Amino acid sequence: MPLYEGLGSGGEKTAVVIDLGAAYTKCGFAGETGPRFIIPSEIQKPGQQQSVKVVQYNINTEELYSNLKEFIHMLYFRHLLVNPRDRRVVIIESILCPSHFRETLTKVFFKQFEVPSVLFAPSHLMSIMSLGINSALVMDCGYTETLVLPVYECIPVLSAWEALPLGGKAIHKYVELHTVLVEQCTVDSDSSTGQSLPTVIGKIPASGFIMRFSCFSVRTCFVSDLQRGLKIQEAKFNLEGTAERPTPPPDVDYPLDGEKILHIKGQIRDSVMEMLFEQDNEEKSVATLLLDALVKCPIDTRKALSENLVIIGGTAMLPGFLHRLLAEIRLLVEKPKYRNALATKTFKIHSPPAKPNCTVWLGGAIFGALQDILGSRSVSRDHYNQTGRIPDWCCLSSPPPESVYDAGKTPPPLMKRAFSTEK
Amino acid sequence: MSQRWVELRRREMASLLQPERVLYLVHGEKKIRSPLSQLYFCRYCSELRSLECVSHEVDSHYCPSCLENMPSAEAKLKKNRCANCFDCPCCMHTLSTRATNIPAPLPDDPTKTAMKKAYYLACGFCRWTSRDGALWGKAINKLIEYYQQLAQREKLERDRKKLARRRPFMPLAFSQHTIHVVEKYGLGTRLQRTRPGAPITSLAGLSLKEGEDQKEINIEPAQALDEVEPLPEDCYTRPINLPEGTTLRQRLLQPDFQPAGASQLHPKHKHLLIKRSLRCRKCEHNLSKPEFNPTSIKFKIQLVAVSYIPEVRIMSIPNLRFQKESQVLLTLTNPVENITHVTLVACEEGDPEDINSTAKVMVPIKELVLAGKDAAAEYDELAEPQDFQDDPDVVAFRKSNKIGFFIKVVPQREGLGDVTVSFKIRHDFRNLAAPIRPSEEGDASTEAIWLTHHVELNLGPLAP
Repeated sequence: MPLYEGLGSGGEKTAVVIDLGAAYTKCGFAGETGPRFIIPSEIQKPGQQQSVKVVQYNINTEELYSNLKEFIHMLYFRHLLVNPRDRRVVIIESILCPSHFRETLTKVFFKQFEVPSVLFAPSHLMSIMSLGINSALVMDCGYTETLVLPVYECIPVLSAWEALPLGGKAIHKYVELHTVLVEQCTVDSDSSTGQSLPTVIGKIPASGFIMRFSCFSVRTCFVSDLQRGLKIQEAKFNLEGTAERPTPPPDVDYPLDGEKILHIKGQIRDSVMEMLFEQDNEEKSVATLLLDALVKCPIDTRKALSENLVIIGGTAMLPGFLHRLLAEIRLLVEKPKYRNALATKTFKIHSPPAKPNCTVWLGGAIFGALQDILGSRSVSRDHYNQTGRIPDWCCLSSPPPESVYDAGKTPPPLMKRAFSTEK
Repeated sequence: MSQRWVELRRREMASLLQPERVLYLVHGEKKIRSPLSQLYFCRYCSELRSLECVSHEVDSHYCPSCLENMPSAEAKLKKNRCANCFDCPCCMHTLSTRATNIPAPLPDDPTKTAMKKAYYLACGFCRWTSRDGALWGKAINKLIEYYQQLAQREKLERDRKKLARRRPFMPLAFSQHTIHVVEKYGLGTRLQRTRPGAPITSLAGLSLKEGEDQKEINIEPAQALDEVEPLPEDCYTRPINLPEGTTLRQRLLQPDFQPAGASQLHPKHKHLLIKRSLRCRKCEHNLSKPEFNPTSIKFKIQLVAVSYIPEVRIMSIPNLRFQKESQVLLTLTNPVENITHVTLVACEEGDPEDINSTAKVMVPIKELVLAGKDAAAEYDELAEPQDFQDDPDVVAFRKSNKIGFFIKVVPQREGLGDVTVSFKIRHDFRNLAAPIRPSEEGDASTEAIWLTHHVELNLGPLAP
């Protein structure tokens, strides 16, 4: 039943699926094989050069409301080109999304754009829909954080969540702060050669530098394999300087805007990504997250979960990331901390049918194509107008399901109560 | 210092015509203050509307480069992309088709070669050219069908439960206690029912049951792999050739493939733009509806505020001094064709709408009369100017449908910050949208209603 080919296949129009990430937003229609657009989650205010990030959790409601309103306006009228009033909306969200943000987003959709219904879909659950499996240990390596959540038989095991703020954002900060690396790079412009980077950074507008940096890291940086990575870490932390660092890859001349050319030392290319795998004081890294989550899961589920790893998110698209991750897990599972706790030693990884940054969107699109289910599980506009809020998994004061009898009415006669009418 | 101040004043005078100096208040869900040029007027509700309190709708699609209108059904089919125009994947410029002659063997005689024309796409900005690339799509139809079946199953179960409960299967006599039990179980089954906002976990209960006579679509669950391909060895030693790779932006423009190499970039069909129509949320009438033709900039319906509401503009501001009365010259323009009567009323104490004013204002008490807008008047020099008997203390000048008048301003706040005043403007409005009732006197003039708007003016800083 190819509903997604829908010109007139009857029934309602295809739903809009939006995955609002901290760095990038993926938007498109349900039933399609990929998002129509991947755009940065930013808006440009008139008169200001710096773009404003839309996904911010610490600003006040007014500002957040107007930022979201402008961003979603742009999504609908510049990219999707459809009427908001006609189509249901599926919003992919992280389970750690603050309620305040969620409520403001719902308010924008219902009050400003008057969409018929909204469904908040948890991202980890959606990612397994695109694979057709029921259980998986899902790790989302995004911009702000890396979040691991096991899903067993289509139910997220909420108590076993693990997260670390190691993502794209952390990598940028790392480079900014580690001036040793940064100072070694020089900038050539048409007027001068050999200027040091910090002097030039001040002249580039901040947003330009960050965007360019993420582009730079995608094109030139990579994740070394396990042996090489461990040697690099040893060389870095070895204070006596006896450990030898493996030969770095060749330097790169990276063009900045205009005539500036940035000479990047080869060392940066392979050592930047090591921060994802370096174990900090608490001995946590991206790889330990997976094992810690596994330890928290019930014993019976562990085998199924460890043999179904799903890695999603933009940061996971770095060349060499998956190979290194698997190698790290296999190394760590032999360590005493995990050896006694985990009996399972086999780890298998899935390759989803879409790129890791679109997998979650794809799951949402598949779910959004199920029109009856979407209709029954979404929060409709009428329901929202009546109750004034959306249900949240963490909020116990969510209104109970539609009651059979209203509190004010007199109870119906005995016979009829047995088979109560439902709404 | 005074020279600098004179320069500032000169610049300020030039900016008096800027629309943000005069703001009108819109009553909606939020109180919005906006210049009249950015507002709409719903003549059915007789109220001002801003962009935030109207609903936006997609009116028509068109291609920005070939300016071809596309009906919405076709746009949906083509995924909102033009069939004829392409975008350069490198720099997002529009591609142009070029022809070149290539030697190719003749179809009848393979030994001879003749020059044949071959077409390719080229970008005039970054010199990128196209090559053949087969575009392939992914097949996830099966997955969708499988989940479709699960969804149908859930729906059937739900309907079955509904019918089952209606059947009278309870014995006639039972005590209060049994009722509670029944209710308890009743609620139990109800909990399994989907309610809005329930987490999407109940998919768990839906596996394909045995013995269903429906055609079962079995999907193979994806297989997990033991090993992942490692990085190629030369990654550590090979120098990078940046032009060979794609930037992040180029990759994200093609979300399906996100190629890392520049040789895999394909031109994409150009994305369409839309024309937008606006609709009042209360009465559902259209406030703005553009023409269908993409090359036309006119509107079918254009209910903008400047064509219905008299506009106040600042003409000249004297030096404003703290606690000293000064006269400010304002102009009032009548946009409609009939005579309009305007009364200005100063804001009362404790007016909830008056939050920004920093000065006291004395507005003319008498009613101001504005002549109708007459397009032919400027060409007709022999026309006698209408005699309105203006009070020279109030009205400075009069020119066709515009008058200049004075208001007295006494700044109440010292120091930095602009002097802002506000007052209410009350005028009569003839609603031409209302059906004209045939009156016995033969006078077909429509009823005039009085509208009041709250206006705020920004008069600039105090003089030093």
